[in-house]
Amino acid sequence: MSEEALRGLVSSRSMSRGFPRLGRFIFAECVAGAYLLVFAPVAMIVLISFFAQEIVSFPANGLTLHWYANAWARPEFSRGLLTSVQVAMATTAIGVPLGVAAAIPLVRSRFPAKAGINVLLLAPLALPGVVTGAGIYMMYVAAENVLDTDIKGTMVGLVAAHTMLTIPWTVRLVVASLQGLDEAIEEAAANLGAGPFTVFRRITLPMMRPGIVAAAMFSFIQSFENLDLTLLLVGPGRITLPVAMLNYLEFRMDPTLAAVATAQIVLVGALMLVTDRFVKLSRIV
Amino acid sequence: MAILLVPACILILGLLVGPLCLMFRISLNELGPTQLMVEALSADNYVRAATDPYYQQIVLTTLGVALLCTAITLVIAFPAAYWLGRVENRWKSVVLIATLFPLLVGNVVRSAGWMALLDRDGLINWGLARLGLIAHPLQLMYTPKAVVFGIIAVVLPYMIITVSSVIESIPLQLEEAAANLGASPIVVFRRVVLPLALPGVAAGCTLVFVLCMNTYATAVLLGGPRFKMMAPAVYDQFIRSNNWPMGAALAFILLLFTMAFTVLGSLGFARRYGKVPRGPSERLAPA
Repeated sequence: MSEEALRGLVSSRSMSRGFPRLGRFIFAECVAGAYLLVFAPVAMIVLISFFAQEIVSFPANGLTLHWYANAWARPEFSRGLLTSVQVAMATTAIGVPLGVAAAIPLVRSRFPAKAGINVLLLAPLALPGVVTGAGIYMMYVAAENVLDTDIKGTMVGLVAAHTMLTIPWTVRLVVASLQGLDEAIEEAAANLGAGPFTVFRRITLPMMRPGIVAAAMFSFIQSFENLDLTLLLVGPGRITLPVAMLNYLEFRMDPTLAAVATAQIVLVGALMLVTDRFVKLSRIV
Repeated sequence: MAILLVPACILILGLLVGPLCLMFRISLNELGPTQLMVEALSADNYVRAATDPYYQQIVLTTLGVALLCTAITLVIAFPAAYWLGRVENRWKSVVLIATLFPLLVGNVVRSAGWMALLDRDGLINWGLARLGLIAHPLQLMYTPKAVVFGIIAVVLPYMIITVSSVIESIPLQLEEAAANLGASPIVVFRRVVLPLALPGVAAGCTLVFVLCMNTYATAVLLGGPRFKMMAPAVYDQFIRSNNWPMGAALAFILLLFTMAFTVLGSLGFARRYGKVPRGPSERLAPA
């Protein structure tokens, strides 16, 4: 972002008073620098994916879309993408209802040990992914020995672990949207003769919608891009896209990988923009 | 109605609390002479992690990298956080989404981007050579510096969002009053903005420090095989060495560090400011 644009963005009230020209210039450079550091690698990946040469070097010898076809032709990436999308969809479909169900009593009713349960429901977000993943890995192996069936590296095993991981997001987002909800509206509906189920379906649920939509997006993306927790839980033939990318990158970084990464960037960006049309992300976040 | 909580709680008890208990139990086991796990009740693995220079080095590297990254991140993030906290309303949502977007793209993708920048034939070496500043490509990849920069870029948005949420709540009139009374911008920053933003700074630093300690992808991809941090070391114990007890012990140590710093962070400013400000991850969803 240019310095002009930055200056334009900063509220004139806050900046014009007292800040000398040089100070404002340095400030704008610092802000631009921070965002450059964050965006440079993302922009770089997108750029590289169009380079004609097979080994990353500068400048480009021409531009091509060949690497996208090449990436899709590699089974680890096409199957990885498919696996990740399936896992993320199943995780969202199971995790969001579970999280919504848990959020309602957290806001609406009193019960013992409420604070403790709140901590428990938010815990997966606070604990390191590799540690949690290692624990689940050992438990899956132990359960496999007892039950004599595969769990590690199966769809069920992956979806169960990811669902656990996304519960805090859903709980938090839905609790936030429920707290802003005026209970008097529900009472009015009940007074006018609506049964509890009708009240829920016609009043509570629609009013929770922004929270639920945002929760679905965060759950999907969280599951789709998760690496730390997933690392130990993948198995032969069922490797998620981030793990496939990591395995590939340990040997080389090339435009094919950049094409895969760009596809993930576009997917995440598109999901955020679509979600933002339904609920203003800036108001939720 | 409380019955609605049961499924989510069972899931977390079964797939988080249960596995962590199992992990603690396994960390007390020993590795038998045939590389198989032997039931035991010993603290040997913890003693080894604390005394063996190999593991000491891993723990120290992890703490050092986390500390350095947190400090640099704070310095780089503060101006951006101030800007985000004060940006005009119609731009706010655009800037927030732009800040959030890299977080959701994933660490593997961003590490790959750094690889393209830092490689021998990467953009930085090419640019420096074109400018005539270097005769031979610099070795940037597989250095601790690369890891530090990679991690900083990953955690910056968290710090920006956390600190900006506190800056937003500082009334602009306070700054204007100070300025009217003759304080220079630097004095306004040092005496007004910074003290009031401290709860956000503390919350941001706690979160960022913990995230840095748990780095996996960035450390593996930018640090190379010889650079060892704790999260990759845990993975190696399970997959490469097949040493579950040691892996479990290392994982438990990492978990304890994470929890200790989180608790210390929140206690530290709870005592000082009377209440715990909204934490960073909470910031991603207002209470």
